[in-house]
Amino acid sequence: MTTEIKTNDTQWVAVFKGRLDTAAAVQTSEDVKPLLEVVNREIILDCTELDYISSSGLRIFLAIRKEAAEHGCKVIVRNLTADVRQVFIMTGFVSLFEIQ
Amino acid sequence: MVQLKMNMRKKTGKRSYTGICIILVAAIVLEAITCIQYVYSRKSIREEAEQRAKSELRRAELEINVVTAQMESAVKVLAMLAERYVDTPDSMFAATRALVGCLDNVNSAGIAFQPDYFPQYGHWFEVCSSREIVDGKLEIYTRQIGGANHDYFQTEWFHNGMTIDSCKWSEPYFDDSGARQMVVSCSYPIRNADGEIVAVALVDLSLEYLKDISEYLQVYADSYFSITSGSGLDIVPSPDTVAGRKYHFFDEEIDATGWHISIIIPDEVIYEDLKRIGLIVLALMLIGLGLLVFIVYRAGRDMVRLVKSTAQNERMESELHIARTVQMSMLPKFQNENKKNPILPCDMYGMVIPAKEVGGDLYDFYVKEDRLFFCIGDVSGKGVPSSFVMATTRSLFRAISAHEQDVATIAGLMNDAMADMNDQNMFVTFFLGMLNLKTGMLNYCNAGHNAPVLVKHLSTCDMLPTIPNLPLGILSGFSYTPQTATLHNGDMLFLYTDGLSEAENQDEALYGEDRTLEEIARIKKAVDEDKWTAKYLVDAMLESVTQFVDGAEQSDDLTMLAIHYLQSSDHAIAGNEAVRHSIVMRNDIQQIPTLAEWIESLNVPSALNMTINLALEEAVTNVMLYAYPQDKNGQVLIEAEKTDTQITFIISDSGIPFDPTKQPPVNTALGLEERSIGGLGIHLVRQIMDQIQYRREDNKNILTLIKKI
Repeated sequence: MTTEIKTNDTQWVAVFKGRLDTAAAVQTSEDVKPLLEVVNREIILDCTELDYISSSGLRIFLAIRKEAAEHGCKVIVRNLTADVRQVFIMTGFVSLFEIQ
Repeated sequence: MVQLKMNMRKKTGKRSYTGICIILVAAIVLEAITCIQYVYSRKSIREEAEQRAKSELRRAELEINVVTAQMESAVKVLAMLAERYVDTPDSMFAATRALVGCLDNVNSAGIAFQPDYFPQYGHWFEVCSSREIVDGKLEIYTRQIGGANHDYFQTEWFHNGMTIDSCKWSEPYFDDSGARQMVVSCSYPIRNADGEIVAVALVDLSLEYLKDISEYLQVYADSYFSITSGSGLDIVPSPDTVAGRKYHFFDEEIDATGWHISIIIPDEVIYEDLKRIGLIVLALMLIGLGLLVFIVYRAGRDMVRLVKSTAQNERMESELHIARTVQMSMLPKFQNENKKNPILPCDMYGMVIPAKEVGGDLYDFYVKEDRLFFCIGDVSGKGVPSSFVMATTRSLFRAISAHEQDVATIAGLMNDAMADMNDQNMFVTFFLGMLNLKTGMLNYCNAGHNAPVLVKHLSTCDMLPTIPNLPLGILSGFSYTPQTATLHNGDMLFLYTDGLSEAENQDEALYGEDRTLEEIARIKKAVDEDKWTAKYLVDAMLESVTQFVDGAEQSDDLTMLAIHYLQSSDHAIAGNEAVRHSIVMRNDIQQIPTLAEWIESLNVPSALNMTINLALEEAVTNVMLYAYPQDKNGQVLIEAEKTDTQITFIISDSGIPFDPTKQPPVNTALGLEERSIGGLGIHLVRQIMDQIQYRREDNKNILTLIKKI
């Protein structure tokens, strides 16, 4: 599991690759910390290569979403794989995020 | 790398600076020594020359004094004779003749009277006897030589004799009538009975004679000797060759005659030896400096080479260390950092001890559908090149065995792949096995590797019968022959590389296959059955081989792998329709990823794979988070029972009572602000599974999940 954070003038992009299970969540929550500080920017969570997500991973997404709302940021989840989309649907996360 | 080169350049600069300094200092020191030595040598040589010259001068003075004293005595004798017969002019002839006759070194002698003393002889009267060579014979001639053509009254010697009452030497002059050569004369007055000076006695000394004396007074071969009169006229002249040369001049006055004798020594004669020694010293100094330059240059170059190679070595070592870590991480682990045992498909243990930092030995294993795939291999050679091949071999084993069930096909495909890319002619001896964990059926294929030892549970141990085949990577397209054997409950398969069988001790004796068999038999016999494990055997064999080599350097990588086949009770129930599987996980969420592999092996319909995995992960995570306090040792057992219509999971743990079904449901319709960060896990389990039941039994939490398929 890898998380890559990129930024430019208007956007912060987090690219997730691999399986975001409970074990990987420990490291991933460290990796996404910069996103929690972002103010007034668009945050894109790129899930093109995210193969799997469990509740621990969903909590990280939710934490980003909540901080973003407080900091006036818009969060976009991009390119969900079928498996991950299924989990988003089961948990109602589809309605919490703008999904592209 | 750039930084390294910069350092190199700095060091090179520093080296040449130091080198130049060393050479300069050495040159200055040598130069100073030479100068001091030259100055002192010159001084002492000059002093020595002076000493020699002075002593020679004294000798010359003595010689000349002897001669002049004889002359003076002679002239006095002559004067005395003349005075006695002063009135008889004829006796003067006899007197001069007698004197010349009895004194060898008197060339001529004479008596000259004042004008008109003997009127009968005329105005002039001078009697002279001289030695002359006539017709080859030396004769003494005596005659009266005074006359108008020899007006001796004007000569210096006559004037001296008439006026000075003692012996007096004249300046050199040419004696035109007596000796007929250059002479100096010693004069002495002759008195009559009344005491008046009436005549002068004289003795001539030939300058040739003095020159002859001076010939053997030479100090050096090329030094000169001269005598000058009191008024500076040459008596014995120095040769013309002295002119224009730098020379040392030593002189001494002879008291009796007022003459000066001098020795003239040209500087180049005195310092000839010094000059020669100086040239030799200069040449030696230049050779020495040349050698020094060479040595400094060589030493500097060696130092740079040393610095360079040390830096390279350090870099290589650190990279090798990393390589070793990477390589070791490729091998399945039997012990992780926490010294806790990971999940193994059966009792097995292995180890690799590389002879160098990285090695060419490998082993690997994994389980696929109740089948344990395992292998051991030894790449030809050692060190870095073998380690690359080792990594490739391991990858090929994993990649090919994932799709193939037949061991001979796997070996053949691996061989083809390796032979095709084998420019270095490296090869791998390889043993590949596939053990059916349910039945004990072992399919294996040996590619030129050592035959493993099969330790029978109830009888002796022996080599597993093997067809050698060819090692992998030698010949593309080679057809490998598979073999089969059956393992029974409790049997142990011991695989090893030639690092064991060819381990050498100090006497270069080999450990050998016979000893391997004997030692295994001995170890098995000596241990209680309940302690007889794969790890025990491998550790005991390592101890055995360590004792055997007794400190000799390890020459080859040493790898051992033991597989202890224990037929589980699950597997023993053959023919049961339900297929049971289980996995034990430690209380560590880092164990979660192994769930995915295990679920893969269950062969659930692929559409359900992800959701089942997710539900199990959430259930197990809950146990780890809530039933077990953090970091407490504990286990979670997950059992799966699969039938045609459903799959049942039973998750049990020994933690504190925790019933996840009591968790309130999550309202997924809530907005962002109302959504809680927790509770999602059990929500997902509920969503995915068709039934969830919790019970507390024997101090255990038991959660049963059923999914219809």
